[in-house]
Amino acid sequence: MLRATVKSLLARKLRLVLTALAIVLGVGFTAGTFVLTDTALKSFDDLFGQAYAKTDVVVQAHQAFNPTEGGGGGGGGGQELNPIPERLLPLVRAVPGVRFSEGSVQSFAQIIDPTTGKVIQSGGAPTIGSSWSPDLSPFTLEPGGAAPVGPHEVVVDAGTGTGHGLSVGQQIRVVTPSGPGEYTISGFVRFGSSNSLLGASFAIFDLPTAQRLFHRDGTFDFIYVQGDGSSTPDQLAARIAGVLPHGFDAITGTTAASQQQDQVNQGLGFLRTGLLVFGFVALFVGAFIIFNTFNIVVTQRTRELALFRALGATRRQVMTSVLVEAAVVGLVASVIGVLVGIVLAIGLKALVAAVGLKLPPEALVIAPRTVIVSLVLGTTITVAAAVSPSRRASRVAPIEALRESAAPSSSIRRRVIVGTLVTVLGVGSLAAGLFGGVSNAGYLVGLGAALTFVGVAMLSPLVARPIASMLGRPFRRRVSGKLGGENANRNPRRTASTAAALMIGLGLVTFVAVFAASLKSSVTAVLDQTLRSDLMLTASQFSPFSPQLAKGLSSSPDFSAVSPLRQGAEAKVGSSTTFPVAIDPATITDVAKIEMDAGSITGLSEPNTVAVSRTEADGKHLAVGGTLQMQFARTGSQTLTVVGIFEPNALLNDYAISLDTYDTNVAQQLDSTVFLKYAPGVDQATARANLETLVARDYPSVEVNDQAQTKQAYVKQVDQFFAIVYVLLILSVFISAFGIVNTLGLSIYERIRELGLLRAVGMSRRQVKRMIRVEAVIIAVLGALLGLVVGILFGWAMQRALSSVGIDRLAIPFVQLFFMLIVAALIGLLAAIWPARRAAKLNVLEAISYE
Amino acid sequence: MAQTVTKVAARTEGLRKMYGVGDASVEALRGITLEFEAGGFTAIMGPSGSGKSTLLHCLAGLDTPTEGHVFIGDVDITELSERQLTQLRRDKIGFIFQAYNLIPTLTAEENITLPLDIAGRDVDPDWFDEVVDTTGLRDRLSHKPTELSGGQQQRVAGARALVSRPEIVFADEPTGNLDSRSSDELLTFLRGAVTDHGQTIVMVTHDARAASFADRAVFLGDGRVVDEMQAPTAERILDRLKSLEV
Repeated sequence: MLRATVKSLLARKLRLVLTALAIVLGVGFTAGTFVLTDTALKSFDDLFGQAYAKTDVVVQAHQAFNPTEGGGGGGGGGQELNPIPERLLPLVRAVPGVRFSEGSVQSFAQIIDPTTGKVIQSGGAPTIGSSWSPDLSPFTLEPGGAAPVGPHEVVVDAGTGTGHGLSVGQQIRVVTPSGPGEYTISGFVRFGSSNSLLGASFAIFDLPTAQRLFHRDGTFDFIYVQGDGSSTPDQLAARIAGVLPHGFDAITGTTAASQQQDQVNQGLGFLRTGLLVFGFVALFVGAFIIFNTFNIVVTQRTRELALFRALGATRRQVMTSVLVEAAVVGLVASVIGVLVGIVLAIGLKALVAAVGLKLPPEALVIAPRTVIVSLVLGTTITVAAAVSPSRRASRVAPIEALRESAAPSSSIRRRVIVGTLVTVLGVGSLAAGLFGGVSNAGYLVGLGAALTFVGVAMLSPLVARPIASMLGRPFRRRVSGKLGGENANRNPRRTASTAAALMIGLGLVTFVAVFAASLKSSVTAVLDQTLRSDLMLTASQFSPFSPQLAKGLSSSPDFSAVSPLRQGAEAKVGSSTTFPVAIDPATITDVAKIEMDAGSITGLSEPNTVAVSRTEADGKHLAVGGTLQMQFARTGSQTLTVVGIFEPNALLNDYAISLDTYDTNVAQQLDSTVFLKYAPGVDQATARANLETLVARDYPSVEVNDQAQTKQAYVKQVDQFFAIVYVLLILSVFISAFGIVNTLGLSIYERIRELGLLRAVGMSRRQVKRMIRVEAVIIAVLGALLGLVVGILFGWAMQRALSSVGIDRLAIPFVQLFFMLIVAALIGLLAAIWPARRAAKLNVLEAISYE
Repeated sequence: MAQTVTKVAARTEGLRKMYGVGDASVEALRGITLEFEAGGFTAIMGPSGSGKSTLLHCLAGLDTPTEGHVFIGDVDITELSERQLTQLRRDKIGFIFQAYNLIPTLTAEENITLPLDIAGRDVDPDWFDEVVDTTGLRDRLSHKPTELSGGQQQRVAGARALVSRPEIVFADEPTGNLDSRSSDELLTFLRGAVTDHGQTIVMVTHDARAASFADRAVFLGDGRVVDEMQAPTAERILDRLKSLEV
């Protein structure tokens, strides 16, 4: 039996290749994701190892919790840490066993490209400012350079230097928390072996200069210690901790490295999960194609299988033979998939680099886990998809060896019942995930979506015939179109399950399109309703900028209101993570309309107060006058009094606090947005021109936008993000196109005699091709229509679930969705190329006498 | 333009067909020269391997001869391109095969008009009615092939072959899968088409009874024409076949 299986596999090499391709791509993407994230982790590991190579112990302020990403925003550098008074440094130096000890400060520093006048920043990578450590620096000076000395010198990372044609002795502008300044480059540094640190830019000043520029006068962020080798780092850390006052920790360099590594791990974990989702979607689509292919093949092999049964093979043997075939296909495809994944990882690396995470050119890390998980996943999914076809094969009765009839198919009633059940289950878990407020909501949503797709796919044969007939109508005028339409209708199950594969990809595209449109529509509506400001200052890439800009403008006679907004620091209320928004209670009502349910927003001018969104207040049972505990990484748990409840809007998150409260509890004191209102009677054009000149000179990363431009800029950002999502979804659409190729190929094989007859009675090759194309287009558009329905429903559900956070409008981008239908038709045409050519090339005589 | 009306619907000149190359080559047709009169019903007979199917395929432009010529009317079809051949089959030739004659997704009526639909030509309603009535398929027109008996299916195929008024109809063992009653019905229908409408038919068969409906029987043996018989009867054909097989 096994030999028969292998022989039948080899006899259908081409079909094998096409079927396997679906799995190859899904496994490839999954393996690629693992390889990429493992490689990234390894890179970071090495980097942090190098960063603390010379440091045995780090002294830093005690942190309430480890924020997920170093202080928020792309400005970077600012750890959420209390400053260390300078007077602690001599105490540390006096501890026995300390060889070197030096203080260090960090913040952001944006280097301006002298030719373009723009901030040097690759993607969203941080722009880091730091003090120079003479003894313990992880950086090494390149030959020809010198350490920075005095208030006018800076050292820049070699990557930025070579990338933008900078040279030693050159004057450059650097924007720091104190504003812009002119500095002379005294040298370039490399970081270990690489000349850049993951795309981040570095501007390094001597310690006093850095302390002044970063507003750290008399304080450090860290004290780095190197031992003299007389004791282990652990012993040294314990000894140093003994001399530190309360609120400061001494940890070993290894611990510090692993803490930072943990932060990166979390960030990469999100990336990995995000990419894996797309890999799983691709595998899911692949499963449909496997299912479909095996079903068709079982039908075609009915007589062969019946012969086996007649010759004494048991049902179990027949079933096993199909499953073994699936396992072999799955395993071979998975092995190829892993290889493809390694190649893909290189491509993904480029994609991630486009988003701003530049990984050093290191060898790819291929962990045993990557290989095992990929092989197991690919093989299991293939076998699982073949279970139902194999059961069908096992039900073939021996008598059918002698009959002309097709293989038995399970009753449509059972299919409807099971399909309905699966759909209900899917919609149920989707709803529970979106609206139930349960933990692990992500998994529930994913499972719900997958089940819904399976359920709809099971039910789709019910609608396949009427829809396919309707779609076929425009083609009926010509006989080729009519025959193509009839062929699409001939086996509604086959047509439906082929279309179902495309449904998944296009359903997700529709979902994303609806969600993105709703997001854009909701936010622009909020901007219209909420914003009363004339101008808005924002920085590209969401990176915050120096508060000096707002300070300077507040004294300008051109503007009657200057209201900065800060966001980015992570805080915790109870166990949930939130990003509170900091506003100026005195000016916010001049630039924005905030609808209050209770209390007032100006109440925030009192210290230690908070305003809460209505939904959050309802959920947490908060009322004006009550208190809540908000935990900040830097200052720990703070008791805040609720002074107002506001209607949810896109400007304020769940929690709004004053700028003063933010400054007290958050180290990174940068503005994300500044709202401006023209003073009455001012010539607005001149005022704006003056502002733009000022910003261009001193704050090159900042953009000046009026309301319409703000909306435009926002829409552009959303579009850019979703463009990446679309690119990732194309993979599964691509796989489902192979499904169409495969089904058409197998159908042609079945109808070979019929094709011969058509050719004999005078159908031209061109007409044959057209016939196949019509069938493909109908299948593809059917899939797109199903996807459209499911996707719009998903989008609607998602919008409802997120309406409390401000996505309160459902927008269905009809033009875009119509365009998608056309693209689906094109996919059909593309998928038909090869089968059509094959059908047209048939030798008429052989086809007629084909047995 | 004084064009003479040819009385010959199709003819072959020194037709040879080889399969394979070198030592393994088989010569299926070894020089066949034949004429088929317009308005005549010819049966081609012979034992298995005598080359009768190959001859039919070459005549119909489905297979290309190794040597020699085939004329349909005045046209030498061995000179035609694949596209022209397709057009020729569509416009000038009708086909009836032994089985799988019909497209399962189309109704009987749609199957009958298929060649006209393919060509994009209009159906002549009077002629269509006449063909349908002689086949007795009037009340079966809206049925799909699976809903028809074997005999009905072959009559649909016959109607299809005639509806486009082809210059010549080729039938390849059309009664091979039918019982004797259905066979008679189909053959009577074909006979009628020749007698009443002057249709030219060439039919390959190994059934003497079927051949007795023809005006003329041509006997092939080993790739050559070995005999001919005018107004054959079943008995005479059987006698002749016996002597051939010995």
